[in-house]
Order: sequence, then C-alpha cells, then structure tokens
Amino acid sequence: MTYLYNFIVGLACAIGFAVLFNVPRNSIVKTGIAGGIGWVIYILFNTITDSTVLSTFVASATIALIGEIFAIKFKNPATVYIVPAIVPLVPGHGLYYTMLSIIEKDYEAAAKYGGESILISVAIAGALTIILSINNFRKVKKSQRLN
Amino acid sequence: MSLYLYLNGGFNLSAINNKKLLVLALYAGEIMLKSGGETYRVEDTIYRICRSRGIEYVDSFVTPTGMFISLDNRGDKPEDLTSCVRRIKSRSINLNRVARVNDFSRKFVNSSMAIDEGMEILGQIDKIQPYSALVHALFGGIASAFVTLLFDANIYEFIAAFFTSIIVTFAIKSLDRIDFPPFLTNISGGCVATIFAIIAANINPVIHVDMVVVGAIMVMVPGVAITNAVRDSISGDLVSGLAKAAEALIIAASIAFGVGFILQIWILISGGSLV
Repeated sequence: MTYLYNFIVGLACAIGFAVLFNVPRNSIVKTGIAGGIGWVIYILFNTITDSTVLSTFVASATIALIGEIFAIKFKNPATVYIVPAIVPLVPGHGLYYTMLSIIEKDYEAAAKYGGESILISVAIAGALTIILSINNFRKVKKSQRLN
Repeated sequence: MSLYLYLNGGFNLSAINNKKLLVLALYAGEIMLKSGGETYRVEDTIYRICRSRGIEYVDSFVTPTGMFISLDNRGDKPEDLTSCVRRIKSRSINLNRVARVNDFSRKFVNSSMAIDEGMEILGQIDKIQPYSALVHALFGGIASAFVTLLFDANIYEFIAAFFTSIIVTFAIKSLDRIDFPPFLTNISGGCVATIFAIIAANINPVIHVDMVVVGAIMVMVPGVAITNAVRDSISGDLVSGLAKAAEALIIAASIAFGVGFILQIWILISGGSLV
C-alpha cells in the first residue's frame, strides 16, 4: 500500500517536471511512470539499507534502464524520459540545509550536508553513466555486426 | 545505408553542396544544444547527417557554449574542405525540440530528402514554443507539492508548497522570457520561495519553512546540468563536462544565495529562531 502511494506521488512529481522541461505531449505520462517506479525502488532500498546514496544509485540506474527501454520502444531520445524522472532524486533538501547551516555558523553540519549532496549527485550521474555506456556498447557492437 | 544509396543510383557527389549541408548540420546541432541536448548526441547527429550525403571526412567538436564542424571531400579543390564555428549564447530546457530534431535526423539520414526541405523542417522545429507560462506554473506547483510529500510533509505544507511554487515558477519563467541574467533569476527564485515559505509558516505554525522551501526550489535545481556534467566527463568530453559542472555549481550557488539572503534577514528581524 505504501508502495502504491509512493508510486503515485513519484508519478505526479515526474509529470510536473516533464511539463516544466517541455517533454513532448505524448511522452509525459510515460516519463511519469519512469519517475514513479524510480521512487518506489528508492523507498524500497532506503528501508532495507538505510543509505540515501546507495538507494539513489539504484533508483537512478532503474530510471536510466526504463528510459533506455522506452527510448528504443517509442523512438525518442532517452533524455526525454530520464531527466524529469531523475529530478526528484536531486538533493534539493541537501542544498537547503547546507545553506541553513552556513547561516547558523554551524560549519560542521554544512560540510556534512554539502558532502552528502555532492555524493548523491555523483551517485545519480554514475548510475546514469553505467547504464548509458552499456547501451552505447550494445549499439556499437550491433552496428559492427551489420557491417 | 551505403547499400541503399547504391540501389538508388547514389547521390551525385559533386552535386551535394558542402556549404548547404554544413549549414543544415549546424542548425540541427544548434537547436539541440540550446534546448538541453547532450553534446555526444549533437556530435552523433552532425556526423550522421553529413555522412549520409557521402561526405568522406566529418569531424565535430561540440561544447555547451559552441561548436566547430569540418567537412572534407578528400578532393584537390580548395572548396572541398569546409568548416564553420557556431557560438551558443543562451540555453534553456526544451526536450520536445531535442526529440523532434532527433526524429528529423533519423528521417533525413534514411531518405533522400532535399537539403532545402530539411532546412524548412528544422525552421519549424526551431519555432516550437514551450508550454505556456500558466501551464508551467501549474505543473511546477504540482511537481513541488508532491516532492514535499516524498519527504513526509503534512497536508498544510503540501498546499503551501503548491502555491509557493506556482509563484516561483511563474516568476522565473517570466524573468527568463525577458532575458534577465540567469544568475539573478535563480537568486530571485530562491528569495521568492523563502519569503512565501516564511509567510506561510507564520499563518499556520504546523507548516515548516524548510519543507516549503525545499519543495519550491526543486523547480530550479540543476538536475540536467549535474547529470550531463558527469556523463560528459566520464565519456571523455572533458571540456563539456567541466562547462556543465560549472553551470550546475553556479545555479546551485545562486539558489542557495537567494534562500540564505532572506533567511538571514528573517533571523535578524525575528531575533533568533526560524519558526
């Protein structure tokens, strides 16, 4: 039940960002589905491992995989599906608490939040890179076979 | 592809106008770059478009701020080698255009479409407008409100984030439209988000300032820039990677600056605590 709730919330988030990024009209809901699944995976791993960075990594990888599958299926660039779905994972709260800690002159907390934000960003990007590189490799191999 | 050309008699290579083809490729690349396309995708598109018309040597160097393309027919005449530089001054995110250009390049490569016809189609793609400011504001509100729910906000924070974010999105999109400097736009966005969060928190003490601000600034966070930065760096496009990383850092810093500025003032006025 909680997973269904999280799926719907993630879906609504991704749909909102999809419109903000001007995703083509017929792809908006598909992007939302990628976002919903990504967030469910995030919650699932966060309850198991209690590690934000690891959960973000797995969720991003899932979103990238779904994006690539949709890209092949619906003949659109994968970016269209991946970018809006990934935004809810971007550490906006980390950015806020870093700034708040700096204002409160609590530099230890600022370093903690700032470091975590950077790690989360790297986790997102790393996951995307791994999936996209594998897909790239597959495409190159396929075109080599054809020639 | 080459088999296809052979069966169709092939293109008369000397009839292919190097300059026209180069301009077409540049235009396709420019639309993609200024709409938030990745550099590797732009390079790939340029390469495919030029190779499909029988150009023997195509090389391009694309960065988020500009691109360089060279075409060579491997002939002896001076006009066999052509090249061009195009600067990209402003960037915004319009994935619809990226998708359309991608689609166009696939069609262009797999057919014998005339270059002029291609230019016309690209012109239409370039004219595609983003969704209207009102739609953006509404969906920005939805996105932010649901982001607060992801962090276990209560219903009042949900509503506050929804309305705050509508105002923030509307403000930054309006500033974007009049070509306000991007750095100042994000500072203003951060300021507006924090001001309305503080107002909301003072109306209803159940609302926490942090939840509302975190929700509202999500419409500005540089998600695209962060992901493209690391992806470009890892795939070897180090210049593009650094440029994107700088963009992400500047956006994040400007949002934090706007939020911090108002928070500091509020702490001074209220004499200490944050709601």
